[in-house]
Amino acid sequence: MPMVERKRNITVLTLVGIILLILFVGIPFYWVLNLSLTPEEEAYSPKLFPSNPTLSNYFDLFDPSKAAARATRFENFAGPVVNSSIVALSVTALSTFLGSLAAYNLARFNYKGKTYASLYILFAYVFPPFFLMIPLYILMNMLKLGDTLFGLMLAHLAYTLPFSTWILRGYFMGVPKDIEDSALVDGCSRFQMLWRIVFPISAPGLVTATIFSFTLSWDDLIFALVILSKAENYTLPLAIAFFMQGGEVYAWGELAAATILAAIPPVSLYLLIQKYVVSGLTGGAIKG
Amino acid sequence: MKLNKIADWLYILPALAVITFIFILPLCYTFWISFQEKVLGGSPKFIGLTNYYNILASGAFYTIIGNTLVYSFSAVFFKALIGLAIALLLNRKFPGRGILRAYSIIPWATPAFAVAFFFILLYDLKGLFNRILGFLGLPALRYLGPDLAMFSVIFVNVWRGWPFFFLGFLSGLQAIPQEIYESAEIDGASRFKKFVYITLPNLKTVFFTVCLLSLMWTMGDFTTIYLLTKGGPLDKTLTAPIASYLKAFATGANIPEAAALLILLLPIYVILIYLVMKYAYGRA
Repeated sequence: MPMVERKRNITVLTLVGIILLILFVGIPFYWVLNLSLTPEEEAYSPKLFPSNPTLSNYFDLFDPSKAAARATRFENFAGPVVNSSIVALSVTALSTFLGSLAAYNLARFNYKGKTYASLYILFAYVFPPFFLMIPLYILMNMLKLGDTLFGLMLAHLAYTLPFSTWILRGYFMGVPKDIEDSALVDGCSRFQMLWRIVFPISAPGLVTATIFSFTLSWDDLIFALVILSKAENYTLPLAIAFFMQGGEVYAWGELAAATILAAIPPVSLYLLIQKYVVSGLTGGAIKG
Repeated sequence: MKLNKIADWLYILPALAVITFIFILPLCYTFWISFQEKVLGGSPKFIGLTNYYNILASGAFYTIIGNTLVYSFSAVFFKALIGLAIALLLNRKFPGRGILRAYSIIPWATPAFAVAFFFILLYDLKGLFNRILGFLGLPALRYLGPDLAMFSVIFVNVWRGWPFFFLGFLSGLQAIPQEIYESAEIDGASRFKKFVYITLPNLKTVFFTVCLLSLMWTMGDFTTIYLLTKGGPLDKTLTAPIASYLKAFATGANIPEAAALLILLLPIYVILIYLVMKYAYGRA
């Protein structure tokens, strides 16, 4: 590269920065991971390195007999893991499907009122969802969907759908119109063309929208609190909150293990799409 | 042709219908119910502005606004600061840079509720932070006590939220053409001058977009504070989302009054929404 030569070796300042960054992010993770591997007997005075590392905290989460002994935590975490997955996966499927159709309309067709349709969706995208806690609680009860996973899924859809529509609109606008036109001339139907040409070209966008929808649903606490009440319907955040008894935590190791488990799916998904995260969220608004 | 136009609409109709029925209409319903009296079964009773009066008459309302602004503005400030520093750091060339970029995104990818539980374990009287203090011979601190609670919840929000700024700033930095720096170097510009006159101005657009979006999200953040302090102690961390939730579903469970509280808080959010839509997505 004919660029003015910059120092390739690491300066002291850079090195200090790197160390600070590693510690800042790493310390909380390390402490929690350490606790999750520490046997329950040692949990109150954990060492810097677990002397007898064990996965028993993780396995105990799925063992109801351990919970009964202590009565300080949710019985069996298999239920919440399944519930969170069901809700997040169906929200993701619906919001990506409906969102990609709507986004294609906004990106490609011209009609009167399109600006208003775009603004309508953008408004719903940027509006903070917590404003919906009261009406959605009432609506789900009216529809007899209170305390159901389907009701929770609908509540999540309220804000993931505008989100994925807006993200995908940005990606679809980047698909060259000529390619589409020639496909149509060749006798493709609109749907075939979407499926065979537009979606593959915008694959990064679809992946991004999918992962955002999944994590938005997986991360939700407020609507789960408002809509769900039976323990068998609990999602992960509700089940983990069970560890807190009057502001005190008794089963440190298990709490640590449960949070690590809950963090694994979104973290691994984000690492897959890290390149697209910002351009997706800001919908092409960031261009330097 | 006519038929074609109708077919075009079919793409967007389901999404518009869903958004209308589970977003926009519910929002309007909040407005409607804020004029009702709290009822336990039976038909709703219209009581005009009473709920609004009750809220404005209680001192808590002003505390809530104050807390919400302190929480979100200071969190955004520190997230922007750390995000910029790390973006500048990881824009330099050195081996392992790619791994560190991926590493940096992890806090933000971790669910907010998981991060809150992390810090419950860290802030505990016997948690890591107090053990470090003890090791240094210092007395333990009550991180979630009245004096430190606001600072502590802000710290948790900052710890999770800065990577969004980092990613935004990094993409902004990468979009600055190298030639500008090269010609500045030929003109003998110092490192500092290049930063002030080239880097900062070029990050302006990114800066506003990222700050506005983050401000919006931080002002809507429920999870962090709810799990760490539930708005306490002594209302020290009572922000808008927490206060509305507690009023509607916890103490007294007065849904209409909570709706009135939401409507009274709405103007602050509407200003932000307007700014986000105009400046962050203005050219879209």
